[in-house]
Amino acid sequence: MIARLSDRPSGNAAPIDPATLLGDWINYDTSSRNIAGLTIARRSEDVLLSIDDWGETTVLPFSLTTAGGEAAAFRAAYDFGFARITILAYLNKRLLVVDAYATFHDASGRSNYFARDHFWAR
Amino acid sequence: MRYVRAEDRLPNGDAAPGGRVDPSPMLGTWFATDKQSAGVVKMELSERDGAFLVRAFGAGSPDPIDWGEVPAIAYAKSVDSGEGMAVSAVFDFGFEESLLAAYSKGGILVLDTFNTFKDGSGRSAYFSREFFHR
Repeated sequence: MIARLSDRPSGNAAPIDPATLLGDWINYDTSSRNIAGLTIARRSEDVLLSIDDWGETTVLPFSLTTAGGEAAAFRAAYDFGFARITILAYLNKRLLVVDAYATFHDASGRSNYFARDHFWAR
Repeated sequence: MRYVRAEDRLPNGDAAPGGRVDPSPMLGTWFATDKQSAGVVKMELSERDGAFLVRAFGAGSPDPIDWGEVPAIAYAKSVDSGEGMAVSAVFDFGFEESLLAAYSKGGILVLDTFNTFKDGSGRSAYFSREFFHR
C-alpha cells in the first residue's frame, strides 16, 4: 500500500546507516538562545541524541527513499513535563539543520514555538 | 517558570500571550511547487470550531490520494508571539505513519515529512523536503 508515489518499494531495502549523523555537532550561531550543541552516538542497536542538560533520547534515523542506506535525517523527542520538544533534523551536505517544535503544557501561557539552528560537525 | 533553553523564557516585562497560537497566517490551500512531485502534492490548512486542521493529498496515479483531515498544532516564532508560522500533524495510515512539519517563510511553505512503515514490507523509513505555494 502507498499514500503517495514515493512510498513505492525500490528494490531490496538496505538498513539505514546512521554513520552520517554520528558525532558532536556545534551550533554555527554562538549567540543562539536555542540549542548550543548536540551529540549523536550509537549504543549497541540504538542511536542516541544527547543535549547538554536535556539528557539522552532515542533517535529515529531516516533515509532519502524507501530503499534505505545512508541516513539523511532524524527525529527525536524530549518530554520535560512542562514542555515537549520534537527535534526534526536533516543533513544538507555536511550542515545539520535542526528544527525544534516546542509545546508547553504548564499554565505559563507561553506560545508553542518553532526554532531552527544550523550545526557543523566537530 | 521552568525552561530548558534561554529561548523558552519570556522577555523581561512581557506578558505571556495566553498559550494560543493563531494559525490564520497559514490557512488556505497550498500546492507543491514541483508539479512532478512524488510526495505530497497539496495541503489544505483550515480552522473549524476552534480546531486547526490539515488535509493532505499524496501524489497518485491517475489522481492524487486524499489522506483525509487530521488535527494540527500551530507554532509561533517565539514564546511571546501569537502568530502562527509553523505547523505539525501526524497521519496514521495503519501501514505507515507520516509526521508532517512545515514552516512558512516569504509566502512559501517548507514541508518536511518523516515517514515510517509499520506493515513489515521492509520499506525503509524515509524523509522528504518539499515546497508549497498558495
